Amino acid sequence: MKPKAMFVALAGIFAASAWAVETEDRYPRTPIVPEQGVWGDQGFSNTIQYWGSKEALNKNASLQDDPDNVWKLNHKHKDGDRVDMHPGHIGVEEGREMVDSWSSKKPEFLKCLSEGKGSLQGLAANYPKYDEKLDRIMTVEARIEHCSQTHLPKQIKQGSPANTTSALYVKSLSAGKPIQVDLSSAPVEQAYQRGEKLFYKRIGQLNFACASCHTPGSVMGHKLRGEVPTTPFGDVAHYPTYRTPVGELEPLHLRFVRCHKQMRAKPLPPGDPAYTDLEVFLSVLSNDYPISVPSLR
Amino acid sequence: MSIRRVVSFLLPVCVMLTVSAQVTAEQKEKVAKPSEFPCLSYTAPCGKIGVRPVVKKMPQDLSLGDPERGKQIAFKRKKGNCLACHRMNGGSQSGTRGPDLSRYGSSGRTAAEIYAMVYDNRWQFPDTVMPPFGTNEVLTDREIRDVAAFLRASR
Repeated sequence: MKPKAMFVALAGIFAASAWAVETEDRYPRTPIVPEQGVWGDQGFSNTIQYWGSKEALNKNASLQDDPDNVWKLNHKHKDGDRVDMHPGHIGVEEGREMVDSWSSKKPEFLKCLSEGKGSLQGLAANYPKYDEKLDRIMTVEARIEHCSQTHLPKQIKQGSPANTTSALYVKSLSAGKPIQVDLSSAPVEQAYQRGEKLFYKRIGQLNFACASCHTPGSVMGHKLRGEVPTTPFGDVAHYPTYRTPVGELEPLHLRFVRCHKQMRAKPLPPGDPAYTDLEVFLSVLSNDYPISVPSLR
Repeated sequence: MSIRRVVSFLLPVCVMLTVSAQVTAEQKEKVAKPSEFPCLSYTAPCGKIGVRPVVKKMPQDLSLGDPERGKQIAFKRKKGNCLACHRMNGGSQSGTRGPDLSRYGSSGRTAAEIYAMVYDNRWQFPDTVMPPFGTNEVLTDREIRDVAAFLRASR
């Protein structure tokens, strides 16, 4: 290759890559004030007025029969099923048996899982959180993985049915308790910032971001074939959930995997640092909203 | 019962398997893999890939494709899946995000313009949610010409 041709080619590559970086960051954003937690939806999809409380849900129950507007309920009307028996409840029972049997064989496991407190009651509402000793952000699923690795004969990996089922049980012990992710913790705040960036990052062959379907001005509120994408606010509160279309319990990170496959992007393993950051971002968007498991979606 | 019999049975099977494996390998080569596009990872190579630059491809000497084939491609979920967002002639259960395309042939757009928009609509609307079907190899050149023909014929 002649030097001149090589220079042109190199300049071209440089220009292309510079351009590419620019496109990634120029996704139109609707500002989110993280301190507002779930109430930030008021300037976002503005649907929280329909689903933000039981009273609002009752008042707007008629939207359930309105195909063009049912999206405004953010699927929260399905949480009425919490009181009835469904496979999510069986998952909670199974999870309880698992955690009890591991804890009776190895009391250190429960101690680790409950961060030394001995009881798991209400703990999940403060997840994800920064663990100083481990120097990383821990989700409930990551805590189960870590404590099993340290104290049980076999590691209970994130994304495995046992991890999901026991995480569902742990979260059910905080059901009804408002999510309070601690944004005053610097590592959590940084994870939130990274997670927000990932939410807007264009990925995959179809060139979609999470934001392509879940922000004002995107597909949100419009029909995507038979579905209408909803707001990202208040959404993680019901995970892990029993997914009726696939007939199994699904943790948040496997939900990400499913989305990314549909976007024709490379899915990441559950527990991946990027997925954890995305979970922090979405959890802050659920701050102040009660944990709603077991649930059906 | 002999080895010969077994061989005479297994040999064609092996040949068939090898041939079919080669065929699938060839087909796979043509299909763009998800890992060739950006992903969310901080460590995997796809995490460092940028989105593909915008390509404005508006061939003025465009030979239009087959509208019937274009319709199939437009409706198929694994292909264009245009119905996910657009109303289209003859389609059902369509989405509502994109403009109604059911009479797009009367819009005054030339075939070349339609081709360019399906190929990569970011040259017109940089923030569009519509996938760049040509740039990202979702559809081939011929498939896009077929879709353009279908849209031109939609009246």
